[in-house]
Amino acid sequence: MSIFSILSQKPWTSDQAKIDDKHSGKSSSMPLPRVALYVSMVVMGVLFTLFSVAYIGRMAYGDWRVLPEPPLLWFNSLVILMSSFAFHKATLSLKENNNRRTREYLFLAGALTLGFITGQLFVWRELVSFGYFVSTNPSYAFFYLLTALHILHLIGGLIAWLFVVYKSFTAEDESSNFPLSLNLCAIYWHFLLMVWLILFTMLLLT
Amino acid sequence: MSESIIPESELEEVELYHPKSWWTEKVFSQDAKLIAIQYGLTAFAIGFVALVLSWFMRIQIAFPEMAIISEGTYYQFITMHGMIMVVYLLTALFLGAFGNYLIPLMVGARDMVFPYLNMVSYWTYLVAVLVLFVSFFTPGGPTGAGWTLYPPQAILGGTPGQETGIVLMLVSLCIFIVGFTMGGLNYVITVLQARTRGMTLMRMPLTVWGIFTATVLALFAFPALFVSAVMMLFDKLLMTSFFMPALVEFGENLSYGGGSPILFQHLFWFFGHPEVYIVALPAFGIVSDLISIHARKNIFGFRMMVWAIVGIGALSFIVWAHHMYVSGMNPYFGFFFATTTLIIAVPTALKVYNWILTLWKGNIHLTIPMLFCLGFIVTFLNGGLTGLFLGNVIVDVPLSDTYFVVAHFHMVMGIAPVLVILGAIYHWYPLITGKMLHDGMGRFHFWITFVGSYLIYFPMHYLGFIGVPRRYYEMGQTEALYTSSAADLNVFITIAALAVGFAQLVFIYNVFWSAKNGKVAEKNPWKSTSLEWQTPEQPPIHGNFGKELPVVYRWAYDYSVPGAEDDFIPQDVPNEKVKLAEGYTELGVEKT
Repeated sequence: MSIFSILSQKPWTSDQAKIDDKHSGKSSSMPLPRVALYVSMVVMGVLFTLFSVAYIGRMAYGDWRVLPEPPLLWFNSLVILMSSFAFHKATLSLKENNNRRTREYLFLAGALTLGFITGQLFVWRELVSFGYFVSTNPSYAFFYLLTALHILHLIGGLIAWLFVVYKSFTAEDESSNFPLSLNLCAIYWHFLLMVWLILFTMLLLT
Repeated sequence: MSESIIPESELEEVELYHPKSWWTEKVFSQDAKLIAIQYGLTAFAIGFVALVLSWFMRIQIAFPEMAIISEGTYYQFITMHGMIMVVYLLTALFLGAFGNYLIPLMVGARDMVFPYLNMVSYWTYLVAVLVLFVSFFTPGGPTGAGWTLYPPQAILGGTPGQETGIVLMLVSLCIFIVGFTMGGLNYVITVLQARTRGMTLMRMPLTVWGIFTATVLALFAFPALFVSAVMMLFDKLLMTSFFMPALVEFGENLSYGGGSPILFQHLFWFFGHPEVYIVALPAFGIVSDLISIHARKNIFGFRMMVWAIVGIGALSFIVWAHHMYVSGMNPYFGFFFATTTLIIAVPTALKVYNWILTLWKGNIHLTIPMLFCLGFIVTFLNGGLTGLFLGNVIVDVPLSDTYFVVAHFHMVMGIAPVLVILGAIYHWYPLITGKMLHDGMGRFHFWITFVGSYLIYFPMHYLGFIGVPRRYYEMGQTEALYTSSAADLNVFITIAALAVGFAQLVFIYNVFWSAKNGKVAEKNPWKSTSLEWQTPEQPPIHGNFGKELPVVYRWAYDYSVPGAEDDFIPQDVPNEKVKLAEGYTELGVEKT
């Protein structure tokens, strides 16, 4: 039901009461963790958007210098893309009831994510070795800030990933919510992939 | 007539957390009601600090020859007073305290959907408060940058608290936002997914609508404050130049260069203006419910009230730059923001009309909550009208740095929501404690607070008109520019402020005294329809609603329904169980 049709209801009328009395009380049939993830992703999206707006706003000033583009960033982008893909394959494997394969892809996704974070730290080291410090220019400062923020979100994801790995060992249990957890983890990884790709594009275009 | 055939519950019964020790029951509790009280007490404690700061400032302004505080301390007190009141008191009270207490009870849930996260949210808030409070005792003291923390001066030498105070303020804000986000997720998802059977969104009381919409606003707006705080921390600690332009300080070139203080202002006010409505929308919701209950009449224009809450929430994101007219902007921008500011007055005025029309021919009970609501309506109207003045660029520019603005925002954002908070406490105190607050002390509290507030802020408009600047520690030689009445008025205002402050002490005494000695509250003492009063126990215990969750059959405003014997029908009573008044065959249908 659209927000407009909800807002146009007249809850005091007896006709509407007949409909309302049958309402379950939930606005969506989605499980709670899924709703929580979606709402969280919206808030994170707002956060990254506002940083990006500040980035674009600050770029307009005369002292802005073009950011160097270490080739390692392309490699890192490929790694995080593969990590997201590994999550995708893990969810597909689970659908085929192949738990062993699911777990393998899950481990691969985590390892690739750690690889991406390490790669980003190497990019930082490279920039520092060239004398591009955080205080040298706002473009560098933004680079360090945005990549750090993205890494922090990935670290948060890795904590969730640890729980999912743990659950994967009890996946055969009837009561296990492993499939949902894995699915949500995968969605979060795809989201962070998208965030990275947008940030990377923004960095490239400046 | 509604049918009583109720579908099987789609909501799984929540496995409630059962505390295993005194610590997990009383301190690290996951019960939203206790978390609400923890939020409330913490917010009031730090709010009291801010109140005391204002007394010092008022005494200094009225009696500058006493020099009760230094210039630097004055700025520090202004800053801490403003930030504490806006963020750590009002936001925390409306969303953390009222949100936690009322959302699960009013929508018919056993608790918030993520109780553990809810508990962590409170403790994170407490850490934020403590970090802020610690800044009073650090070298250089708290920041004196003004509550808007504008760079570059916020982090430069010469501004009090430049050493550590500003860092602690920014860190505290970041912690607060993280904590709030955890709570905010809970409030939004509980409203969306944990309502009881029959509780459609449009059957929710306006209190829940107000808190829900304000939480959504906060989830969108607080990230802007987070972004600006993090970037300013970088500027302060890592010498970046996000906001800092090239500067010479005490004859020395600083390493900053090229940054934009205006960028900070845009980010800050992108948070700052919705913040006004983060505070106002819950107040609107609560006052709507209180007026309806204490006037024994359904709220006038319910749907319009919901639309206005949602509309104000949306519009609040496109008015922010009206706080920045004096920063200089393209006249077309000024025109745009002045126009949106005037447009937002439309749904706001609509709410005021609806409150008045709810009162019209109502069975008005002049209870203490109702007195506070009536006080709110006129105060909000006053503050709102001066907002229309200040929303226009050409009026704002000369008035911007005067006491007119101080009067405006204290009326609309200080006194008005505080009156609602106080009214709400008198209203829900019997539910929370099982006791009634003392009526005599309550009436004394209301009249001194209400009349006293007008004695404080009405004269300030006049001070603003004659050009008395705000933020001045003392007028000094500038006194020659104003009539002597300005100084006399400042003395008068200070005496009124101290009297209002004293009345708050009476209120605090009343809260603690009544908890022990107050009259035991009868069940549902205000004869309210909403679910929080229909719990088996009063105060409600862990899990809120006995063995089974209530089922909702009607909206929250069935007061004085023709044909019903009582003048209210609780939301969980089906039509078949409503006692009919003599001469009626069913609700609204008289015997022929």
